[in-house]
Parts: sequence; structure tokens; C-alpha cells
Amino acid sequence: MKSKPIKIPTGRRDTRKHTPKANMTGLYQRAIRDAFRKLDPRIAIRNPVMFIVWVGTIVTALVTIDPNLFGSVQGENQRLLNGLITLILFLTVLFANFAEAVAEGRGKAQADTLRSTRSDTLARKMLPDGSIQQVSSTSLRRGDQVKVIAGDMIPADGEVIAGIASVDESAITGESAPVLKQPGTDIASSVTGGTRIVSDELTIKITADPGQGFIDRMISLVEGAARTKTPNEIALTVLLAVLTQVFLIVVATTPPLANYVNTPTTIAILISLLVALIPTTIGGLLSAIGIAGMDRVAQFNVIATSGRAVEACGDINTLVLDKTGTITLGNRLADEFIPLNGHTVEEVAKVALAASAFDETPEGRSIVALAERLGARIDFDRDRAEGVEFSARTRMSGTNLPNGREVRKGAVDAIASFVRSRSGKVPNDLDAAYERVSRLGGTPLAVCQEGEIYGVIYLKDIVKPGLRDRFDQLRRMGVKTIMLTGDNRITASVIAKEAGVDDFIAEATPEAKIEVIRREQSQGKLVAMTGDGTNDAPALAQANVGLAMNSGTQAAKEAANMVDLDSDPTKLIDLVTIGKQLLITRGALTTFSIANDIAKYFAIIPTIFSAAGIGALNIMGLKSPQSAILSALIYNALIIPALIPLALTGVKFRPLTADQLLRRNILLYGVGGVIAPFIAIKLIDVIIPFS
Amino acid sequence: MRSRPTTQTISHIWSEWRRQKLPLYLFGLLCFNLVVAPAVFAAAGETLSRTQSYALGLLGIVTVALSIYLFVDMFQPERF
Repeated sequence: MKSKPIKIPTGRRDTRKHTPKANMTGLYQRAIRDAFRKLDPRIAIRNPVMFIVWVGTIVTALVTIDPNLFGSVQGENQRLLNGLITLILFLTVLFANFAEAVAEGRGKAQADTLRSTRSDTLARKMLPDGSIQQVSSTSLRRGDQVKVIAGDMIPADGEVIAGIASVDESAITGESAPVLKQPGTDIASSVTGGTRIVSDELTIKITADPGQGFIDRMISLVEGAARTKTPNEIALTVLLAVLTQVFLIVVATTPPLANYVNTPTTIAILISLLVALIPTTIGGLLSAIGIAGMDRVAQFNVIATSGRAVEACGDINTLVLDKTGTITLGNRLADEFIPLNGHTVEEVAKVALAASAFDETPEGRSIVALAERLGARIDFDRDRAEGVEFSARTRMSGTNLPNGREVRKGAVDAIASFVRSRSGKVPNDLDAAYERVSRLGGTPLAVCQEGEIYGVIYLKDIVKPGLRDRFDQLRRMGVKTIMLTGDNRITASVIAKEAGVDDFIAEATPEAKIEVIRREQSQGKLVAMTGDGTNDAPALAQANVGLAMNSGTQAAKEAANMVDLDSDPTKLIDLVTIGKQLLITRGALTTFSIANDIAKYFAIIPTIFSAAGIGALNIMGLKSPQSAILSALIYNALIIPALIPLALTGVKFRPLTADQLLRRNILLYGVGGVIAPFIAIKLIDVIIPFS
Repeated sequence: MRSRPTTQTISHIWSEWRRQKLPLYLFGLLCFNLVVAPAVFAAAGETLSRTQSYALGLLGIVTVALSIYLFVDMFQPERF
């Protein structure tokens, strides 16, 4: 919960560099090969809808060879008709396989690019006796210690235990500026295998066994190796299986009725009817939509441990966000010294400089810079002074001077307690200064020397531009945002109002985070949060979606179900958008696929059973039963490749409420799904020379 | 001299038989059709030949198998 400097990438996200672009050449040739490979029944059986079409293709192929195989058939061109039906059904299966293969191919191409960053390198393993042994990076195990020097590739994921060095992480983050790595800090102590050290040297303790590192996890995820069906996918698969079962029973029991109305049908026509009625469009595109969703997350430089986590992003009701680094720019800067108790600004600057002499945080450095601008200079021997680090418990930091005096800066109430403990008196104007800074949305830090408060430092907090609009969008989608901050209530309320969050928790402790998550979850809500510190780990594990920063500690990364390689906490908002887009795409194509059935039903049934007196229902005026069946099946096959781009890129996301989205989907994909096939089937009927 | 390769072949077929289930299922299906096909032939009277009855019986069994497969898919979707 301590404020930490978090590297915020600049510029619009889509213009930023990410993981090196994957090489997509040969993608479609590979996908065509894979589409044929997926005809293997052991693979085909995993998709119930398309497996029915696959079996139907074999049966129609048999009646193409012998049209009288299942009974004597009258009529001309039976073999030609059956042959054409077989070909169209075969293409339907092939197109569905192709859609899945293209989505998998894109993931594999991205995995290959990642794999190229993870080459087998030589590592300097440190043995217990202190000597160094050259070993292959693949032989390193969790707990081993290695030494890396400038120019080396870091052999595996690990924690820095000694040394300070710059590391080029562009191989995984795309960010070209090197990042400083050092031990013992909550951030900047973890390193990723495959990145390169550009200066100095580090001693690293390996935290992942071979094949278990972040890049390995990302590879297996985008390749689909670790892909299991998500709960929503399972629910949709059940729905599709139910629909297919219903239509299978309907079609299987049709022949007696057809014979009764004196219009006997052939097996090929019954199979055509079955294939036209079952939801082949969504059946063929379902896995491609899921794979493409994972791919989009990987393109955003986020490692998800499972598809379930990505999908959960779409169902999130509450976002718990840290103020510092997420809502405001990570680095608060000292803007003003407010003197109290009869002191001058120069005196406050001098004490503030002394209190910040050992403070290496951006806030500390900005206090030093402001004090120096005001003419303050360090007038003690730094070597004999002792720095006092900030802690969440004391909520202050400072310096023990060589003459034995103590200078401190920190939260106003913490400094007030400190002064009282040194038999000092809290000045009356402290509250007014505290309130003034807080009302400006800044963080007030009191400065004292021994038992005397000198003044207040105004740390200016800047809300990230554009966040208000994003929170408005989230609100419209029904997502509640809660800001957590260690700041006082007044500051928190000002920042919350400025940023446009729905709720805030001020003076929050690490425990408050987990409490907020539990409270929301007890109301049946799904909660997402970001975190990077070890103290965030329990909350990251408790949240439905926990996004850890790559710059964070190993504990945080292991507790979370997603890791952001760019260490950009605002990305959680984008992940909610990706998750929702995944769910909306699946919903839209399911609606479209089922709505399509109506037109196909009207195309086939009235023409087949026209002798039964329902010819008037042939509202499309299709030429003949054969032409109607072929037109419906051709449409059924072609709509799959036509929708592949939509399945891969996702339906354009709009920040609407669930009701508005439902209305829009029903109108666009429901009504559109009814009208489009009527037009397309009629057009195909006109074009094909079958009468 | 000849018994050894024969034994090896039999053991190979046996091990493959245990490992690859699809041929086993197809064989079971064809055997079951030996019961179904005569019933189809008897029910159809003169309209169907023996081959057509056999093919239709097989198609009926495949349809029922598909229906069972869909039920499995409904109740144990994670299997697929």
C-alpha cells in the first residue's frame, strides 16, 4: 500500500510497442493443412455440432456411390444431387476447421515469436562453496543462484538478491527503455527469463523450474496447449448439444410423417434438413472465438493463467483500484512548503531536505529538488547520519542526524503523535494547512525536528488524463469502481470526485483491500483488482480477477491469475473491455446462428412437403426442392468463412448496459440473422442452375 | 520358427485392440446390426432388399449412437 513508483507507458495504448509482432506469413496455408488434419474423428468428436455434420457427410457420400443404398429412390440426377450435398457438407466441416485453425495459427505464430526470445543460454550458476559453474539455462531449478553480467541474457525467471543493474525487457514488453533492477524492494526485484542485462551485474535466485516461467506459460496459453473450455463455453456447448439433439429426433422421426403425406424423402435430403437446422454457424466458430479472445489478451502483453480468467473479466461488477499509479500518475511531486508555528519557508525547506536526504522515492527526490530550489543545503555529514525508511506501520520516514536530533516527515497524524512522544506541542495552524492541501486533492506531509513541527509539504497528485471518461463508460456498463488509498478522507474524496470513481476507501490498510473484496463478493459480485506488493497477494488471490504487475513481487504474481508485462495498472480497465467483447461476440454469433434457422426452415420444409399442401409457405419462391436444399446448404457453408473475421476480431465494443446490449444484439444479429439468409438463399437459388 | 512371429503379431493386435477403441466400437456396431437388420428386413416386407435392410439398420444404430453421444455431451460437457 506504500506509494510506489510505477512505470507508466506513455501515449495511446494502440500506438505503443508491445510484444514483437508475430510473423503471420504462411498462416493460411498452415490453416488449410490443419483444417484437413482436424477431419480426424478423434478431433472432430470434440465439437458436437460439427461432428453431426461430419457423420452426415459420410452418409451422403455413401448414397452418392449408391443412391439406392437405404431404399429404392425415384427421380433423376439423384447421384448428382447427393454428390453436391456431400461436397457442400464436407466444405461446411472444412470451413469450421479452418476457422479454428486460423485462430490457433495466430496464437502459434505469436508463441513462435515469444519462443525466439527464450533460447537456451549458458548461465553462471553459483555453487554453495561460492565458486561459479557454467551450466545450460535449462538445467537451472527453482532456488538456484546465478550471476549475470552486462550483455548476458537472464537465463530464467527470478528474484534479484544482490547488485543493481539495468535490464532491457523489450523482448517481452516492447518497451525499449531499460529498467533498473535491485534487490529488497517490493518492485524492481523480479526479473524475467529471456530479457537482457545491459549494465553492471546481478545475483539472481531462480524462482521457476524449466518450462514453468512466464514466457513458457504465455506460449502454452496462446498456442492453446493449456486451453480448457471456460464455464460460458461449456454452457453454450450444452445448449448447442440440446438443440442438435432436438433436431436429430425431429429429423429421425420425419420419414413416417413424410410417407403419410405421400411425399417420401431420401436420406440425403433428411441429412440436409438436419444440417440446415442445427446451429452450425456458432458450432463452427465457437472455439475460434475463444482462442481469438485469449490471443487479444496476449497481444495486450498480459499473461492469463487460464481462459476462465479472461472470461471472468467480462462478468466483472466491481473494480478495486489503487489510487497511486492507477488513478493518479505514480509520482507525486512536492509543489509547496507551507510554514507553520512561526517558521519561514526556508526553515521548512531545510528540515524537509534533511528528512529526505536518504529518501530515494520520486516523492523524496522531488522534496529535495524543491528544497534546493529554495536555497536549502545539507549541512551535516551524510556518512554519520542514519536514514529511517518509510513503513506502513509508522507512516513516516526521515533521518537521524549526527548530532542526535531526529528529523521526520510523514502523514500528519503520524507526525503529530511523534511530536507528542517527544514532549512537543502540535501547532494550532496544522489542521488548517492539512485541510487546505487535502481540499486541493494533494497529499499533506508534516515535517518536524524533534518535538517541533516546522510545516507541511504539499505533494501534488495528478489524475491521469482520460480516466474520467473510462470510468463513465464502466458505469454505463454497470461496473462499479472503488478507489483505495492510504491518503486521508478529504484528499481521497477530492481525487475520487475528480477521477469520477463511484466509491473510495481512505486511509486504507492492506487488510482493507481484502475486506472490500470480500464485502463485494458477499453481495454476489465479481471483483477485479490490481496489485504488485507482497501485501497485495492475499487480495489478488481473493479477487475473481487479480492482475499483478510484472514489476511486482513473485508472491503477487503467483497469487494473481493475470500478469501484466507492461506493469500498467490501468490495463485492468482494458481487460474488462476485452472480456466483455469476448462474451458479446459469442452471444451475437449465437443469436445470429439460431435466427438463421428460421429462413433455412422456410426454404426447405415448404418445398419438400409441397405435396402436403404447404407449398404456399414457400414465400421465397424457390425453384424446386433440390434447388432449395442446395441453396440453404451453400448459405450454411459460406456463412462460416464469412464470419471468421468477426469471430477473430470480435464484435465492436460499445459501453452499454446489459439491457441496451441485449436490445442491440437482438435487433442487429437476431432480426439481421432472420433477414440476411432469406435474401442470400434466394440469390443463391437464382444463381445455381439446378431446377 | 513360424510360431514366434505369429505370437508377436497376436500380442501386437491384442495390445492395439486394447489401446485403439474406435475399431472395437465399429466392430460392436456391426455385430449389433446382425440383430437389427433382420428385424428391419422383416418389418419392411418386400420393399427392401437384404443389403438395404442391413444399411438401414446400421443407419438407425448410428443415429441412436449419435443421440447417446449428444446426451453425454449435455451431461458431461467437460469430457469434450
